[in-house]
Amino acid sequence: MDFAIDADTQRHIESLREFGRDVIRPLGIERDRIGTPTPPDHPFFREVLARGLTRPPDRSGGDGGGVGPAVLRVITGNELAYWDRGVSSSLPGPGLGGGPVMGMGTDAQKTRLLTRFRDMSEPRWGAFAMTEPGAGSDVARIRTRAVKDGDEWVLNGAKLFSANADRADWIVVFATVDPDLGRAGHRAFVVERGMPGLSDPKPEKKMGIKAYASASFTMNDLRVPADNLLGGEALYEARSRGAGFKGAMQTFNATRPAIAANAVGMARACLDEAAAFVRETGVHDERCRDRLERMRRRSRAAWLMCLKAAWLADQGRPNMVEASMSKATAAEVAMEAASLGMELLGAVGAQGEHLIEKLYRDVKAMDIVEGTGQIQRIVMARHLVGYPRDA
Amino acid sequence: MIDFDTGEDAALLQDAVTRFARDALAPNARRAEADRRPDDATRHLYESLGLTAFELRGEGLGMVARCLVNEALGAADPGAALRLDRIGAAGYALAALDGVEGVEALIADPARRAWLVTPEDGAVNVTERTASGTLHFVPADVTDLVVLSASGVAVIRSGLEATPLRGAGLRALDPARLTLTHAPVARFARVAIAPILARARLYTASLLLGVLEAASSYARAYARERVAFGRPIAHHQGLTFLLTDMNTAVAGARLLQHEAAWRLDAGLDGAEAAATAFAETVEQSAFVAPNAVQVLGGVGFMQDYPVEKYMREARTLGLLLGGIDLARDDAMKNPATALMAQGGL
Repeated sequence: MDFAIDADTQRHIESLREFGRDVIRPLGIERDRIGTPTPPDHPFFREVLARGLTRPPDRSGGDGGGVGPAVLRVITGNELAYWDRGVSSSLPGPGLGGGPVMGMGTDAQKTRLLTRFRDMSEPRWGAFAMTEPGAGSDVARIRTRAVKDGDEWVLNGAKLFSANADRADWIVVFATVDPDLGRAGHRAFVVERGMPGLSDPKPEKKMGIKAYASASFTMNDLRVPADNLLGGEALYEARSRGAGFKGAMQTFNATRPAIAANAVGMARACLDEAAAFVRETGVHDERCRDRLERMRRRSRAAWLMCLKAAWLADQGRPNMVEASMSKATAAEVAMEAASLGMELLGAVGAQGEHLIEKLYRDVKAMDIVEGTGQIQRIVMARHLVGYPRDA
Repeated sequence: MIDFDTGEDAALLQDAVTRFARDALAPNARRAEADRRPDDATRHLYESLGLTAFELRGEGLGMVARCLVNEALGAADPGAALRLDRIGAAGYALAALDGVEGVEALIADPARRAWLVTPEDGAVNVTERTASGTLHFVPADVTDLVVLSASGVAVIRSGLEATPLRGAGLRALDPARLTLTHAPVARFARVAIAPILARARLYTASLLLGVLEAASSYARAYARERVAFGRPIAHHQGLTFLLTDMNTAVAGARLLQHEAAWRLDAGLDGAEAAATAFAETVEQSAFVAPNAVQVLGGVGFMQDYPVEKYMREARTLGLLLGGIDLARDDAMKNPATALMAQGGL
């Protein structure tokens, strides 16, 4: 058992911290005031690439230890979200789309879709689109249709809340070949920017985390070449039932601890700001201290859950319960921390000027994105008490 | 480097203790409660495991292993586990005073039993020479009372007047109220108490964690079997979510305990982390244990099932060592600690 962080990773954290303090948080506050996402041509993104922020830390001069990729993801996600979760979600890269490409794509697709992100001269984004107006938590019920027509697939439907879809080179779109087949009918397609039939993704107006775009778009007789079916036909024939759905779920298992780590970072920010406020204003008393202690303790437990879920992923071990546990817990803890922060601010919180007020709006999303807290409990219950899929 | 595996040696020890707890301790828990002590056969089996103060002997098994052992024992019968370990959490203080040899001398005398308290466990005034006052909950046969106070560690070996108590829980420990009237202090040392209290808290909290794990697991198993309104009650979302939350509560407390134990084993300051882990375990016990009874409904209230005992044991364990309030004080001993660093980074 070991909870120590190696020196290379610690240096990586320090560099994130410095950049977060100087650049990420000010930008997040600015975008929150303006109310729209950071434009893709904003110099911030080039600076991110120049600093190598989206690359894993250099281990060439390291101490031989090092954490696995999933643990590194939660550590990075924790630190970036501490400074601003919206900005951290806007960073260039394949985003959530990277998971299904890596997990389901053919070698040729991986090369074609992911190699471009190694080029640090220009920011590029990928995206992931699952949610629909009629299918949120129940992702098995998506209605975007995919119909094979010769060497092409024809897509029709609408997607919501797709991060960075407004600027993405490509979007992994989940569609169904037959809604009556449920999960077995799911297929994952790569929809590329500029394809005829793809509407301009439109950023939604959100309560918080405004620095990144959650975009909606429609597909009207959008034709994608057969090559853009992730994994090719063979994947779905070989695995027979539910390969597409499983691909999406595997994406969530990998990303839930990272989202949870975002929430922990935000909880830490709330606590730091609240603690600073009570110190500065001299209202620190036993009640304040006990409430801060509880939130600090709960945040710590949530953080350890994130680390464990990620560590299991790095070990190649099942982590579904731990991933959902971390997500459900961290999101609740972060919301509680923000709410507590507002309470400690008192009427100052009501003014809408304090960072905690922004965090209070930002953090609610963490209990919704990538599976609500209720969905996480259902996922856990399937393993713990055999909760049926059709209940 | 991050690693959640406990290691082979600790896992082997945990397996052995789990077998003992399952086969010897748990089946006799009700009888031990009634008799106010585990039977001789159980005691012999326990002694053959060689668990007493094992973490002090430099065998490479430290607080993490102790947490694993105590969780297994606590899941079966925490009162009996406390009764069987004649050194218990007091061992950490005695080792700080007299070294492992001092602890082993105490173990060698079957008539002796040590017990660790804080002044918050009663109303007691301890000086370097005498101690007076009352301690609310100690084993009736305590011979070496160890008091941890801000000024140091006091060991009291005479003038201990025990009055037996029924006990809300932990009855197999044979609990008593202790009165001290100018009891002479046999040994006093101004040593740092934070590391001792940290270990003691983990010792106690890990027993409590075992109770919570047992309560949560039992409730889950029952809820999968019990059918109401045409399906297992575990599949009614009102209970489904409660059961998952109980499991999560236990998992979170366990992680905090293991991190704190790892800190102590690694030679790092673990006082704040141990206090945090203790506070979390106690707080979650108030959620998990009563809800285990709730899941069983009416039969949960009956002594035919173990959950009512879990509920009593859990509440009682959480009151030891100054309880949650003292732990919360210690968890925030340094309020200026940067929470940024608390991210574990």
